[in-house]
Amino acid sequence: MTVTAYVMVKASTGEADRVKGAIRGVEGVEEAHIVAGDMDFVVKVRVDGPAQVKEVAADGIQGIDGVEDTRTYIAMD
Amino acid sequence: MRFIVIGAGRVGLRTARVLHEEGHEVTVVEGDGERADRARDAGFTVFEGDGSREETLVEAGVEAADAVGALTGDLNANFAACMIADHYGCRTVMRIDEDYREEIYTKYADEVDEIIYPERLGAIGAKNALLGGNIRAIADIAEHLQVLLFTITAESPMRGYTLSEVSLPAQARILAFGKDGEPMGIPLSDDSLEEGDRLAVLADFDVLGDVRQLLVGENAAATLASAAGTER
Repeated sequence: MTVTAYVMVKASTGEADRVKGAIRGVEGVEEAHIVAGDMDFVVKVRVDGPAQVKEVAADGIQGIDGVEDTRTYIAMD
Repeated sequence: MRFIVIGAGRVGLRTARVLHEEGHEVTVVEGDGERADRARDAGFTVFEGDGSREETLVEAGVEAADAVGALTGDLNANFAACMIADHYGCRTVMRIDEDYREEIYTKYADEVDEIIYPERLGAIGAKNALLGGNIRAIADIAEHLQVLLFTITAESPMRGYTLSEVSLPAQARILAFGKDGEPMGIPLSDDSLEEGDRLAVLADFDVLGDVRQLLVGENAAATLASAAGTER
């Protein structure tokens, strides 16, 4: 069961390139874009199940230096 | 010149007021009816509508405007407004809400000509007030580079010397000099430093303390005390 999720990431650093590179390096991350607004990145995640979504967001992305907060939305369609 | 200021909050209205006082034509765009009314009552030309929408900005006159200041507290709205304004050939200024974002928007937001972080400017004012009358920050040039105005005091170690004798640290430069009560001008090597004279110095944050010791004196407490005594 493939699950797609979107993770909004708020940074705490201006080094957007480094953070974006690190996010793209997390397994399960398909795309990552720098966006305007109160979150700094939108990340598309495709993994094998809901549990892995949490792993990617909580362990993978939140573990990156310069990431302050994440919000995860699992696609329903 | 013609300007559109988006956002009738504290930052937007102050900006609009200053521009208006300097003789420019300013239209304020505000989406909230109450805020728009208040701004109108205060004498501003206000266009009520969503400043992140093209129709609104066109009706507010973006085609004839020289520059647009997207100064709301909403980053998305500000960025969208800058994209539209840039499309219409305006100079664009965008307000941001957190300092680390300055680097991100400077790099990625090609549509934005300049970023404003109001808290940074407020902090410069607060710092000036805390430092007292002898030192005044004029501008942040870069993250680690600032232009400061120093007033020579009776305690200044360099008082009585000429500019050529002032040896500032390598990461600092004298930009301008003014005798007490006279306008600032180009610094000349034989200008002498007397009490009340002013020096504009470009300095790296790392050497600010050294520059201050040299020009104002060692005793920061005395500096503050004398400033407190001379300020109105």
